[in-house]
Amino acid sequence: MIIDVNAYLGHFAFRRLRHNTAASLLALMDSKKIDEAVVSSAGAIAYRNAQAGNEEVAAETSGHRDRLIPFAVINPFYAGWQDDLKTCHEDFGMTGLRLYPKWHNYSFSSPCCRELVNAATERGMVVSIPIRVEDNRQRSWLLNIPDIPLEEIVELVKAHPKSRFILLNGLGYTGSPLGRKDNGLPSNYAIELSRLSAVLANEIGQLITNLGAERIMFGTGMPFNYADPALVKLEVLDASEPDREKIRGQNAASWLRL
Amino acid sequence: MTILQTTSRSPAPQRRVSRRTLLKGSAAAVVLGAATLPLASGAVVEQPAPVASSGSPRKNKVIDCHAHLNHHSRASWEADDRKLIEAADKLGIDQLCCSTLTPRWPASLDGFRECNQWTADGMRRFPGRVLGYCYVNPGYGREALEEIRRYVGDGGFVGIKLYNEYTCTEPVVFPIVELAIELGVPILHHASHSHYFVEDQPRLTDSGRLAELARRYPEAMLICAHISGGGDWEWTVKAARHAPNLMLDTSGSVTDDGSVDMAAAVVGVERVVFGCDSSMTAGIGKIRGADLSPQDKEKILGGNMMRLLRRRKA
Repeated sequence: MIIDVNAYLGHFAFRRLRHNTAASLLALMDSKKIDEAVVSSAGAIAYRNAQAGNEEVAAETSGHRDRLIPFAVINPFYAGWQDDLKTCHEDFGMTGLRLYPKWHNYSFSSPCCRELVNAATERGMVVSIPIRVEDNRQRSWLLNIPDIPLEEIVELVKAHPKSRFILLNGLGYTGSPLGRKDNGLPSNYAIELSRLSAVLANEIGQLITNLGAERIMFGTGMPFNYADPALVKLEVLDASEPDREKIRGQNAASWLRL
Repeated sequence: MTILQTTSRSPAPQRRVSRRTLLKGSAAAVVLGAATLPLASGAVVEQPAPVASSGSPRKNKVIDCHAHLNHHSRASWEADDRKLIEAADKLGIDQLCCSTLTPRWPASLDGFRECNQWTADGMRRFPGRVLGYCYVNPGYGREALEEIRRYVGDGGFVGIKLYNEYTCTEPVVFPIVELAIELGVPILHHASHSHYFVEDQPRLTDSGRLAELARRYPEAMLICAHISGGGDWEWTVKAARHAPNLMLDTSGSVTDDGSVDMAAAVVGVERVVFGCDSSMTAGIGKIRGADLSPQDKEKILGGNMMRLLRRRKA
């Protein structure tokens, strides 16, 4: 079973996306033999009121919950986020959220963000963090949104040892405490592989050695990204079959309690 | 005539991407024949033909048009070069068009000279797998031209690599282009287009500039490097549209869905060439994921680059 922990639905403000409806994403998943995908709103990344995007994803995934696992996008600096979190969890059945601190202009250390992460944790929700949305060099002339520095993630996972984090669209973990063996950090985070190398530097292999295969998850970034680059990594990765199974879907299934 | 491409392979690794999956299960439908074209170095570039010299049909080669060998100041350069070939083996890449770049720019005369020596050494270490690009800084004028004659004219390199020392439309670049036309080889030019000034690359070239150069020299074979190298690839593709002798190289770390499809749709599939620029799984994955016919993928993966390499003059 392949579970993609890094997928999206809806429109993105700065580029047209294909395969961005439930029906078209499912068709793409069928063609790529991806069984399930965690999806959140691409529109909510740039919406002022992110909840509108969550409502779109809830409606779009209705009837497809066997394969599409909706996550919420919550901005803890926007009015009513507590109500939105409650609605997303209790009414929409969303079991996790994605945070965009650089896009939504807050820091992980702000009291509001701390409160949000704690509230999500109390509800048993997974918190996933896209390190980036797009390569910053192709950014629009309207804005300049940096990647989230890994140092900020280090502080986040330390500050919330009981929370569970999935880190998306990142690389360079082996140059940070996050990817080092015996790093003194809580083992409360998993790393998604869409931007990690499987050959040459082989960061995936290094992370398996340093953290264990239990901490790596499969993800594509579709429909922002082609799905195949991530699938090719799975195919060429030098790892034992049990480890590959964990990465393909077992780890995600365990974290998402599927 | 010696075919070298299969004799230097490292031991077969356990996990590989199959050609069938690369072409979406269509390999049988597109088994092209091949003939061979010898280069001065003894390396061989295959070219499409109905039937191979052996009489049995052969597939087109997969050629990475944008690769690099490691600078020897890097302690692990030899092992890292070997890893490049091993990665190519895993991903089904037959040949890699490689340059060696200086670690700092602008490149000095001694700097690019030793890089080209190392590229030639790489061609000897990996015969038939590594095809050389001659890297020069056009600012060295006569010396740069002599370097190209030495390595492309006499040394069997297949093309010229230009980086960011000059914008491609500056007159200092023109003699390089004219020599490339004389030799019948392509120029792979570093390029990107961002919507802000790239401070550490003040003379960065983009596809619009390359299109301007291509119109000035319609006989030249120009390759715009890495449309997925981080700039606005939609801009890059559109700006290249009306320059028929400008090719787009798909390499780069960005894996944005639709990028290869748009390149093929806007400039035509014959003007798109596969590359990785060291982003190996990204490079192969983008082509596999593109919504194109197996025939078109064959062209991008190697057929188009072969067509350029066949134009080399004796």
